[in-house]
Amino acid sequence: MKPAPFDYERPSSIGEACRLLDEAGGGATVIAGGQTLVPLLNLRMSQPFILVDINGIDALKGISRVEGGTRVGPATSQAEALSDETLGRHLPALVTALGHVGHYQTRNRGTIGGSVALGEPAAEMPAAAVALGATIEIASVRGNRSVKADEFYLGPFMTVLEPDELVTGIVYPDWPPDHVVLFREVAQRPGDFALVGMVGALAIADGKISRAGLAWFGMGPTPIKARQAEVALIGAAPGEADAQAIAELAVADTAPFGDHRASAEYRRTVGRRIFVRALREALEAKETA
Amino acid sequence: MNVQRSVGATRYVGQRTARKEDGRLLVGRGQFTDDVRLPGMLHVTYVRSAVARGRIVSIDTEAAREMPGVHAIYTQADLAALPVQMLSFFFAPIEAPVTLLADGRVACVGEPVAMVIAESRAQAEDAASLVEVTIEEEAPLVTIADARTGPLVHPGRDDNVAAEMGDEDALDAIQPLIDGAAHVVTQTVHHQRIAQSPMECRACVASPDGTGEMTVWMGCQSPHLAARYLSLALGLPAESIRVIAKDVGGGFGLKNIPWREEVAVVVAARLFGRPLKWIEDRFEALTASSHAREQEATLTAGFDAEGRLTAGWCDYACNNGAWPMGEDANIAVHMFMWPAYKLPAYGFITRGWYTNTMGLGAYRGPWAMETLLRETLLDKAARRLGISPVEIRRRNLVYLSDQPHTSTLGVEVNDITPGECLEKLVANVDIAGFRKEQKEARRQGRYLGLGFAAYIEPTGAAGTMAPMTGETAQLRIEPTGKVTAMLSTHSQGHGTATTMAQVIAEQLGVLYEDVSVFEGDSAIGAFGPGAAGSRQGVIAGGATWRASQLLAEKVKVVAAHLSNAGPDAVTISGGMVHVEGAPEMSRSLKEIAEIAYGEPGRLPEGMASGLEAQFRYQPPPVTMTSAAHCCMVEVDAETGFVKILRWISSEDCGTVINPGVVEGQIAGGLAQAIGQVLLEEMPYDARGNPLAATFKDYLMPAISDVPDFEYIHANTPAQTIGGMRGVGEGGAIIGPPTLVNAIADALSPFCEIEELTLPLTPARILDVIEQRDVSGTRDRANRDEAARARDEMAEAPPLASEVSAQGPQASIDGDWNMTLKAPMGGQSFLAHFEADGAELSGYLSAPDGRQDFSGGTFENGRMQFMVKVDNPMKVTLKYDLQAGADTITGKCKMGMFGTAKVTAVRV
Amino acid sequence: MSEHRIELTVNGRPHSARVEARMSLGEFLREELGYTGTHLACEHGVCGACTVSVDGVAMRSCLMLAVQADGADVGTVEGLAAADGTLHPVQQALRDNFGLQCGFCTPGIAITLTTVLTDNPRASEAEMEAAMSGHVCRCTGYQGIRRAIRQLAGHGAGEAA
Repeated sequence: MKPAPFDYERPSSIGEACRLLDEAGGGATVIAGGQTLVPLLNLRMSQPFILVDINGIDALKGISRVEGGTRVGPATSQAEALSDETLGRHLPALVTALGHVGHYQTRNRGTIGGSVALGEPAAEMPAAAVALGATIEIASVRGNRSVKADEFYLGPFMTVLEPDELVTGIVYPDWPPDHVVLFREVAQRPGDFALVGMVGALAIADGKISRAGLAWFGMGPTPIKARQAEVALIGAAPGEADAQAIAELAVADTAPFGDHRASAEYRRTVGRRIFVRALREALEAKETA
Repeated sequence: MNVQRSVGATRYVGQRTARKEDGRLLVGRGQFTDDVRLPGMLHVTYVRSAVARGRIVSIDTEAAREMPGVHAIYTQADLAALPVQMLSFFFAPIEAPVTLLADGRVACVGEPVAMVIAESRAQAEDAASLVEVTIEEEAPLVTIADARTGPLVHPGRDDNVAAEMGDEDALDAIQPLIDGAAHVVTQTVHHQRIAQSPMECRACVASPDGTGEMTVWMGCQSPHLAARYLSLALGLPAESIRVIAKDVGGGFGLKNIPWREEVAVVVAARLFGRPLKWIEDRFEALTASSHAREQEATLTAGFDAEGRLTAGWCDYACNNGAWPMGEDANIAVHMFMWPAYKLPAYGFITRGWYTNTMGLGAYRGPWAMETLLRETLLDKAARRLGISPVEIRRRNLVYLSDQPHTSTLGVEVNDITPGECLEKLVANVDIAGFRKEQKEARRQGRYLGLGFAAYIEPTGAAGTMAPMTGETAQLRIEPTGKVTAMLSTHSQGHGTATTMAQVIAEQLGVLYEDVSVFEGDSAIGAFGPGAAGSRQGVIAGGATWRASQLLAEKVKVVAAHLSNAGPDAVTISGGMVHVEGAPEMSRSLKEIAEIAYGEPGRLPEGMASGLEAQFRYQPPPVTMTSAAHCCMVEVDAETGFVKILRWISSEDCGTVINPGVVEGQIAGGLAQAIGQVLLEEMPYDARGNPLAATFKDYLMPAISDVPDFEYIHANTPAQTIGGMRGVGEGGAIIGPPTLVNAIADALSPFCEIEELTLPLTPARILDVIEQRDVSGTRDRANRDEAARARDEMAEAPPLASEVSAQGPQASIDGDWNMTLKAPMGGQSFLAHFEADGAELSGYLSAPDGRQDFSGGTFENGRMQFMVKVDNPMKVTLKYDLQAGADTITGKCKMGMFGTAKVTAVRV
Repeated sequence: MSEHRIELTVNGRPHSARVEARMSLGEFLREELGYTGTHLACEHGVCGACTVSVDGVAMRSCLMLAVQADGADVGTVEGLAAADGTLHPVQQALRDNFGLQCGFCTPGIAITLTTVLTDNPRASEAEMEAAMSGHVCRCTGYQGIRRAIRQLAGHGAGEAA
């Protein structure tokens, strides 16, 4: 199980990386942590001509506060992010989800950007980006652009990223300091991709739910935003929201697949239950707060 | 005062002695096959079939040959230059003629089609990806159901039955007994396909060392067996092949015998004349190593009003795949289903089926299905009858006081203790307390369950099947006074160097640290089949035990001679030799050894110089191990997840040499059992593609899946030297029903698990809780898809019976050389036939006797007759043959021993 | 197919080599430098047998390219014991508790537990067990490994004599 041959470049700037991607004419693949990519290379399921290693680009690393949010450099390792104080303070939902990504050893090398950009539909990071309303910053020799996370994912391992484009940042908007985190994951072993999972946040203002961001993972070809549930929640008083009915709406937005580990019906059935539980807990926390 | 200790005063047997093997394995200095590097060595990779079934139209290697680093690309046409006969574990020829690489047809995905030899593995893979194999695809047979109704997997055979045993006609006698029972309970199990998945995949380095010599490093379970297999398969003298396997990263049955890829490396190394290395990668290991299990069986048992067994019947089928490592109907399932229970009548039919899937290999406790079927059925029965799972076993188990006892199939037991193990277990578990807790938990919507199982296991088999033999221990006290042991054992994690050194240290009276054990090399020791059937502790343990005593005797005679004392006055302890009443005569073993080697004139008259002893132990044919286990679980009714709360093992493996090693074996088997019940599965799609190609899809148990195991040891010595009983496989055999029973108990407020389909995924658990098809198991979509796939593809060759033309009837009178091919070896004899119209008579004659028969029939070339045989067992052989002009072919039904293929040619 | 010159230290010893871009760090350690204690058992990052430390952090050597280790300080199982052969406490704990059988997965496990303890010498049993989720052992049922973890966490002594 050895990869097909490829060239290797380690640019030190975003500009150089973009130039390499452009010159490769679609034959280049970006490697950050490589925890998902290298297995695909080893299995020869991915056979790029050039691997562009972004670990040498300092501008792609680190976590910083920006106006209205927190910006995470895509080459920041998952382990670093997990113990980052800024993230812990401003994005507890992201940190909670991060604790379920892979294993101790893979989090040491795996990156936030790698997970976000690859778009494994059962992974936590893409769903967290969708739920929390993140914006993905993208660069290429053609210029820069930003894409909302819920418009970024097209299908399993498919995104709007063009072959010459590079993710340069993920900006998570601020949530009110007292927002509630929702997270539930059903996986057969720790570190496995989820059979089904959900992540999100709720904010309350003046006794009403003022903001809701909820997304599924493992419930379809991409991370899935629970749009109908979000709409139903906004404006409701925490004590009045019917968790069961809202969970039904959330499941209605999904399109789960079945495999030998779990059927689509299992994912829907259990998804509904974890959604209800997570939502009830969140609402009760707010009601009693 | 000089206190003299007797031999064995220092106890090593029974101690948790730290392992000898760890010294190298913990610091990265083991020698696994991939660690072997030879000058001029090249690397091998295989081009494998991506198609489950079809005719090879062409293999184009031209582009691949041009790739950098490529030295050769071989197809079967090339390898055929060196004829090979692949054999089963029993050294019987594989019935469906299997070649090293595909020969004209492919019969499963992953089948090796071509071999690339290159300077690096990466270069070999580069070239392999350019080998173009064109295959005319045919619709594959994937499931046992497909095999029953579909076209032939191997054209030229009569049907898709790979092996058959048992007697369907016996049901006529059993059925009325079942029908008349007060309670009839049926258990159906669909056991998934398992990938054995040792952490080290298969591996082979073959080095041709000149004319007729070959050294092979191979991941195997016995270098002796591997060397013998290779010499038989290649038709070479055994001495010419040396197999070395110092460290092997787990075997579990997969590495019982070399298979196509390893043998192909050996053949190619001879043909190419350079050392070759093949290291199987995990993708290959999961999709193209022999798989295990995949069985479907239904067991029906009758019980009287008190819950005592009255009669049983089992219909068993297993998926042999296309090229099993020996066609198998798994008769051991039936032989060992009931000897531990009082069951008056039992019958069965058991069949192995060919399909277009990867072939079947062995896996820890290959017959484990018997314990799973029986023990889950017993719990079902207990619930039906309203008695406890312990009580139903008490009413039916064979306790020591019931022995000797002979099972309905003739298996005799005289020292088994499953009942005693169960009593010990029950005495150590607060069942009443658990039931109370369970009741309270249910009120809160928490579902706890308690499961029990009991079993016996035949271990240490020797003398009844070709490879299952005794073991040899060769011991030397070196001139340094240290002990060297050369053993026929082999460890793939078993720690035989440790346990055997403990036996030597204790029996010889030396320090454990002063014993060096050499094994893992066919040039060391003598033939032994290694790890296969829980046997090394029993047999090699006995051999080492006795050889140590023999060597101690020699030391005593020498010391006595040197001290003018009697041998009885001599004791050895801690490497010192003492003479009773003469402390000044104490000598170190080193001093004695220096004399024995260097001054032979001081030895007793006629004694050989040196200090050596050898013993080959031939134990009783089988040594039984018994156990009872229980576990407690909590099932999450919302998600269908199972958490194992506690697991207690109560086993009797006789003398325990090293509890750390014994418990390690039990624990490893239990973890595999947990994997089988909850996680592991190698599914196939309708096109014959294996779907779990990585460890992301094939779920191995992780640390969080396995609870702390608790152990109770019974230690009833066996009737062997040393008293050990085998313990290697037990956990994997008794584990699955223990866990299934606990889950079934937890689910009992909802419903019975009507048919057990493994693994019990969370979705399948919800099926039971919610009484609907959450898991989609009952969904017929897959089958429809299979049917569609078949329709789209080319028609496969028809069944052989449909094409066999009926010729004119020729005379069969006279003598024929007849061969009967039975599953565990063939027999040849002379057959004489006389036909008088439609009446057939004659005799069968072999060197050990002649059986006459009459009353047979001969019509349209079809010959039917019966021969009664008394030896070695009473059985009526029913022949059904078709005669041609010069050949006769057909079958012989041998009672429960199944059906053998018969061929005959005119003398 | 590019080739690259790399310099790195392994277990404190400097090495330099030319490597093909596609060669994994694990394969490089084994094939080019002879550190065969690191075992490649799945080559897709699940089993953990190939785990080594890179700049003190545990990583899968099958998922990192050798070229990416340029300038790194790599630690393998061969580097754990002291020069005089004294086992590292993690190795000793595994030995004391029958924490290995075939030993194929062991090097990676030893590296993981070592890095967890280097980061936090007072690491809890739960932290070490959580890090073990990234390792597969087919032989032991994890019993001895868990006992070794307890010994390392300061509860309970080893059971082997």
